Amino acid sequence: MSGTDREEVGGEAAGGRTFVPSRRTVLVLGAAAASTVITVRPALAQTAGSVLNCEIPVPGPHAGGNYIAPDGNLVPPGTQGAAPPLARPLRGEEAKQLLRGSTPPGVNPQSSQAYANYIRRLQSGMSGFTCYASLQMPR
Amino acid sequence: MAGPRYIADPEDSVSTVALDGLSVLFHAPSGMTHIVAAPAPEILAMLRAGPADAAELLRRLQAHYDFEGDEAAEAIQARLEELEAAGLVQRA
Repeated sequence: MSGTDREEVGGEAAGGRTFVPSRRTVLVLGAAAASTVITVRPALAQTAGSVLNCEIPVPGPHAGGNYIAPDGNLVPPGTQGAAPPLARPLRGEEAKQLLRGSTPPGVNPQSSQAYANYIRRLQSGMSGFTCYASLQMPR
Repeated sequence: MAGPRYIADPEDSVSTVALDGLSVLFHAPSGMTHIVAAPAPEILAMLRAGPADAAELLRRLQAHYDFEGDEAAEAIQARLEELEAAGLVQRA
């Protein structure tokens, strides 16, 4: 490969560095109808650990800073009776505890119902949805 | 007319292994693994510079790449929708 113009496509996306191509490359975008993403279903990829270690941000990055009402809806920051955003994403195991009605360590018990209802309201496309969906899958 | 704007999760949320022409991504927030082809890794990398719609993303990519074909904007929009369905990008 040395001495050619070829550049590894996407290789630098690995390992926590920003991908910055050093030389212009022809990027094949594919036809609009072509597929470039294959998701390995949890049933194939999972171990019990991978599902229980997935993460659910509460709320997701689309709603950063918003509070969570007891029914799980997003409300403006500071709304009375609403729970503040969690400082860190919940792990799958913690989300499971919340959905069962218990409170994982580090979560305010007064707010746990709001967080559980937020998770129940997650829909496809929202951050954490696939984690929540994976938790529902029978093993 | 501007299309929907998208954001990607931070780089440290996704572990990437480059294979021969493909990449395997482990997306920690969802616990899901995806096998992707170009231009998916490039789109994710460019989105980490901030939210963008397909037109803005095309401008960012053009700063680094040449493209094949005349329908780059349509193809990028299709790729974004695909990445959204996979949970790798979200609407901003």
